[in-house]
Amino acid sequence: MFKYILVTELQASLYTWKSTVWFLITSAIFSFTSYLFLTDKELSLLDQTEMLWLISKIIIGTALLIITVDASNTINAEFEKETAESLFLTPLTTKDFVLGKLLASLALWIAIYLISIPYIIVVSAGSHLTFAFVIYVLMLGTMIILGFQMMIFGISFLFRSSKNTLTTSLIILLALVIPATFSSTLKNNSLSHFLSVINPVDNVFSSLDNVLVDYKIAISSNLLYIIPVLIFCLAAFTFMLYSIKLFKRSGIVNKD
Amino acid sequence: MHKINSFIFFVLLLIVCFTSANSILADSSSFSLPPLNINILSKQTLNGIAGDYVTVSAEITNISQKTITNITTYLSMADEETKLPVDLEDWSAEKGLFIGTIDSKQKLPLDWKIHFVKPGKYSLIVIAEINGENQPLTSNITHFTVSPKHNLNPGQVLPVALGMPLFLLIIMMFATYIRRAKS
Repeated sequence: MFKYILVTELQASLYTWKSTVWFLITSAIFSFTSYLFLTDKELSLLDQTEMLWLISKIIIGTALLIITVDASNTINAEFEKETAESLFLTPLTTKDFVLGKLLASLALWIAIYLISIPYIIVVSAGSHLTFAFVIYVLMLGTMIILGFQMMIFGISFLFRSSKNTLTTSLIILLALVIPATFSSTLKNNSLSHFLSVINPVDNVFSSLDNVLVDYKIAISSNLLYIIPVLIFCLAAFTFMLYSIKLFKRSGIVNKD
Repeated sequence: MHKINSFIFFVLLLIVCFTSANSILADSSSFSLPPLNINILSKQTLNGIAGDYVTVSAEITNISQKTITNITTYLSMADEETKLPVDLEDWSAEKGLFIGTIDSKQKLPLDWKIHFVKPGKYSLIVIAEINGENQPLTSNITHFTVSPKHNLNPGQVLPVALGMPLFLLIIMMFATYIRRAKS
């Protein structure tokens, strides 16, 4: 049953008009920004490492937005189309149901990442950072997106409504991404510093800055940023488990 | 009476001579040469293209008879077209070079690496401030031109920027064809 869910969801994620249009728009965004950075008379005079850092933020930011929109609908679609009841009457366990949908949603991130690789290669040419760029975007992107997916799945099980899940998820995304884009001069006071430490998106961007701009490629040099992201993933996983427990207690058809 | 008048006149003359001598001595420093000579060596090699990194080389010489300490030297640049000073932070210039001690008749090199950010015509001077002195010292003005950079395909980005969306469009059309063929 897990395979059935995975294959169905993979087709829905990757083989529909919706997803191909998303990939096209994503590619257009990457094309525009890469070309702009390399040719604009002001921006092309950025240090190459700063350029790589900006592009890595664009890749992860775009993927986060697309995954947020997609994951908000993945589970809620079953409730809104009223197919959840018949689905759970099958031998399908909740674990297989969630895992299948999670992996299919993650495949969307992998597709976006694969689209970004040619841009990464062309922009980082000559910098000796191509390999580190590719690996760190994959590692950090996968962690943050997995965390977001689990959090959104948890919200989905609580709200059982695409509209409410999407709204809440987008607000959370904005609340985490906007402070992460502030310059360092705005993060000088203790409150901003504390928020930077706990913000997983800020930690991802800071780790990419550490690798691409400061040349600290070793994992040990980036543990300070990776650990908060892992804690976020763990918290999101715990939240998802709690939401599933509440969902099972209230039943497939909401008793409220 | 005549003798008293002469004496008073002589005393007044002495006072005038004394105060004049004092003022001449007090103003004597304004006629002395500046203790440092600053010369920009890379006058002829500064012209370039936007995006280039160039080194501004200068030389500071202590032409006085005594050792001078605590000198801060820095660049100052102006855009000749807009008639405005240039913010050197945008040009990635080092902030300033500090000279702890320069002996009499000693020459020291000064180098700044700058990044040509914007095309245009510029003028550049080197300024030296001696700790405790009110008057900074400057080099002669050096003029240079930064030409614009014209490159439509830097780093071969165009094939990827145009090719990837086209490739995905082809895949999309192929997938649509397969889907229609199946149905």
